Amino acid sequence: MALKINMGEFHERVEKGIHNTFMRGAVAGAQERLRTRRLEAAEELGNWEEWRALGEEIRQHTLENLDYYLMQLSENVKKRGGHVFFAQTAEEANDYICRVVASKQAKKIVKSKSMVTEEIHMNAALEKLGCEVIETDLGEYILQVDDHDPPSHIVAPALHKNKEQIRDVFKEKLAYTKTEKPEELALHARHMLRHEYMTADVGITGCNFAIAESGSITLVTNEGNADLVTALPKTQITVMGMERIVPTFEEMEVLVSLLTRSAVGQKLTSYITVLTGPREEGEVDGPEEFHLVIVDNGRSDILGTEFQSVLQCIRCAACVNVCPVYRHIGGHSYGSIYSGPIGAVLSPLLGGYDDYKELPYASTLCAACTEACPVKIPLHELLLKHRQTIVEREGKAPISEKLAMKAFGLGAASSLLYKLGSKIAPTAVNPFTTNDRISKGPGPLKAWTDIREFPAPEKERFRDWLKQRGNE
Amino acid sequence: MNVTLFVTCLVDLFHVNVGKATVELLERLGCTIHFPEGQTCCGQPAYNSGYVKEAKEAMKHMIRTFEHAEYIVTPSGSCATMFKEYPHIFQGDGEWEERAQRLADKTYELTQFIVDVLKVEDVGARLEGKATYHTSCHMTRLLGVKDAPFTLLQHVKGLEVVPLPNAHNCCGFGGTFSVKMGPISEQMVDEKIQCIEQVEADYLIGADCGCLMNIGGRIERKGKPIRVMHIAEVLNCR
Amino acid sequence: MEAFLQRIASRLGRDVRTSVERPKWKHAPQHTVFQGYSQDELLDELKKQCTRIHTTLVETTAGRLVDAIDDVIAAHGGGPIVVANDERYEQFGLSSLFTREDVHVWDHTLGRANIEAAERANIGITFSDITLAESGTVVLLNNRDQGRTISFLPKTYVAIIPRSTIVPRMTQAARTIRERGHVPSCINFITGPSNSADIEMNLVVGVHGPVKATYIVITDR
Repeated sequence: MALKINMGEFHERVEKGIHNTFMRGAVAGAQERLRTRRLEAAEELGNWEEWRALGEEIRQHTLENLDYYLMQLSENVKKRGGHVFFAQTAEEANDYICRVVASKQAKKIVKSKSMVTEEIHMNAALEKLGCEVIETDLGEYILQVDDHDPPSHIVAPALHKNKEQIRDVFKEKLAYTKTEKPEELALHARHMLRHEYMTADVGITGCNFAIAESGSITLVTNEGNADLVTALPKTQITVMGMERIVPTFEEMEVLVSLLTRSAVGQKLTSYITVLTGPREEGEVDGPEEFHLVIVDNGRSDILGTEFQSVLQCIRCAACVNVCPVYRHIGGHSYGSIYSGPIGAVLSPLLGGYDDYKELPYASTLCAACTEACPVKIPLHELLLKHRQTIVEREGKAPISEKLAMKAFGLGAASSLLYKLGSKIAPTAVNPFTTNDRISKGPGPLKAWTDIREFPAPEKERFRDWLKQRGNE
Repeated sequence: MNVTLFVTCLVDLFHVNVGKATVELLERLGCTIHFPEGQTCCGQPAYNSGYVKEAKEAMKHMIRTFEHAEYIVTPSGSCATMFKEYPHIFQGDGEWEERAQRLADKTYELTQFIVDVLKVEDVGARLEGKATYHTSCHMTRLLGVKDAPFTLLQHVKGLEVVPLPNAHNCCGFGGTFSVKMGPISEQMVDEKIQCIEQVEADYLIGADCGCLMNIGGRIERKGKPIRVMHIAEVLNCR
Repeated sequence: MEAFLQRIASRLGRDVRTSVERPKWKHAPQHTVFQGYSQDELLDELKKQCTRIHTTLVETTAGRLVDAIDDVIAAHGGGPIVVANDERYEQFGLSSLFTREDVHVWDHTLGRANIEAAERANIGITFSDITLAESGTVVLLNNRDQGRTISFLPKTYVAIIPRSTIVPRMTQAARTIRERGHVPSCINFITGPSNSADIEMNLVVGVHGPVKATYIVITDR
């Protein structure tokens, strides 16, 4: 799976999402639960805003000095006997990973959840090589078993599926014979995957936070799958987006605290694992060989621009969980593995405006995302900047809109034009008005009146009333 | 107290009663109302659509128009927020940034002004029935005015105010979003109306005409027996 | 690598940086959590948190530790058991554990046989090196005598927690680990049993790792 999920035009995807009743119920339920848990977890700390400020400060500092910290990370990984590869593009990353895998003559690969490997389409590259790649995160596993259904949520990838659907998929593909009870489904996955961990040649993980000072990587899960992926196979490959790094353990712990609270409302998830290099002398579990692949894939183009703050993201999905638009259209509508507000900001940057020009408009700018973000990314402002870019630099706005806005600029900047325009407005829409209401509006009003009534402009403007009354 | 009213374009053209109520209410609270005739629109429609150049023209015009005000009061959380954003938008633009800052510093949303500046919590209003209040996004999240409307509504005699479920969710207005993303907007406003119906409110009250036009327009289309009122109208009921 | 870093630097509008001073952060909310709490107060917080993470907490004294462990083992259906080769077992009078027939003591010279023993085991037992009151977390600094899989492969995981290891939160653990110098190849922060909410947001306890977790706190050490 690459960044892009190919599922037709934006408006078709939205239609499909809106009509998916189960998905919408699931999303609304998940949003409420995750939002409440996050708020409780934040409340409990009592000084959440200070935590956010610290999170922002750490992320900003790290991005401003990203070259230095990556160099430090790379040196320290090597000191501990690991290998580091810097990949400018998805192709470079996949080539390297495939080379390592081929050199081990590996056939079976177990993998823990990683957005960046989705983004670079790594599984397909490995499958082309003849390898079997097995997702071990329960949600990802379900999607993979179901013919690679795309994820619809950054943290809960299979959110759009109900347990009956999962049961049927398991029955068809995994010889499952039990009921749709989540416990039984999970137990079956446990049995299937236990065997895979024990027999896999290579384990591949993402990286929540790399620690520059110690050359470590941090993995955050509730299932413990990342631990088995890294403890049992002989070779470990960790793939990280180049911005997923902190200076030291002390910053890591702050960001992990922000991540787990924001993502799932837990003080810490069940397993936070910090891995440094391959296994040491005498150790019998852990990999013999450790490779760290640091991926740019379009990220450096964001640095130094007005969008730089989006790289502060720690992939907690708090913004997704409060987004009223995501709530109704679901993850697949975004056409990208990154959905919700973060997806609407990030996807056009990584994938271009041609594919993602609608996303910045799929927001009411209600700022719920900005308020929820634990590292204070001004998400709704970045959506606005996208709109500005589309209008000014990309020239992709419709001509009718450009004309309307030009007229707006003129009208609103001149009292005379405004007064004139507002005075003739009631007459202009008169043919469409019944009982002071417009039910079938002309031109741009039509999209409004398809859904709601529109008030006809009042015959006496407020200013006329005020004047008559004798106010200044 | 000298109050310069920024009535907003929506009120000027479509919701004249909200403007009237605002004037009468503030006068009753001892304010003298000034109304610069040159006022137009805060520029939000263009700004939020990405037309910053066009928006800035409108903004400069508004800065000039309101420059001499002592207090600027507006019956809209969203438009007040826009004024507050001006310094940010003119950042680095020397003279205009300063002028924008001065404008922002003296701008208040109506309920915020009554509670925080006039220090009044009971305006002596009366309205019989059950109401629920829609917390508009810009006013709550960006302007940070969360309590003032509730403080004032609590003191309205005869009015029972019940909490609106999922109040934090946007109503689906979002300016041009309501027409550009019609199908999504429709789902959002429908969920909002379901929540209003759930508490069996007679009135839906809000402090932003944009949201109220959206929710109200949909309520009307669906023929629901819910009356939509701006908080200025409620506070002006005797 | 040079080109990669060079590109970042040029995007940031400067040359590649070869040294950066880690700033003193303007905010430090993490230090205020449970500030000034006594060990007893921290233990109370740990107990509270355990009720929220599906973890049984047993309190005992050093003198009664053997019995407490036996009880926990029995309650979870007995062996096979896998334990670390850790001198603390002896210090705490737990040598008898090593002589039980159903106990595998991690022995790095045996290689992969250790992992197989862990896979077969019903219960895995380790000491907690640092314990976080706020989140109910045990921190394991693994090494060749304490394999990573002891705490992951068995169905039940048991952590022995000397009261003295309890600190307010991850902040103190992070500092300790930094100050220790050599960072172990694998550090686990374990908070209760494995779980997942990936199916319709229903919490399922016991997914890939342990299904059950028990903490035994030694209150006088």
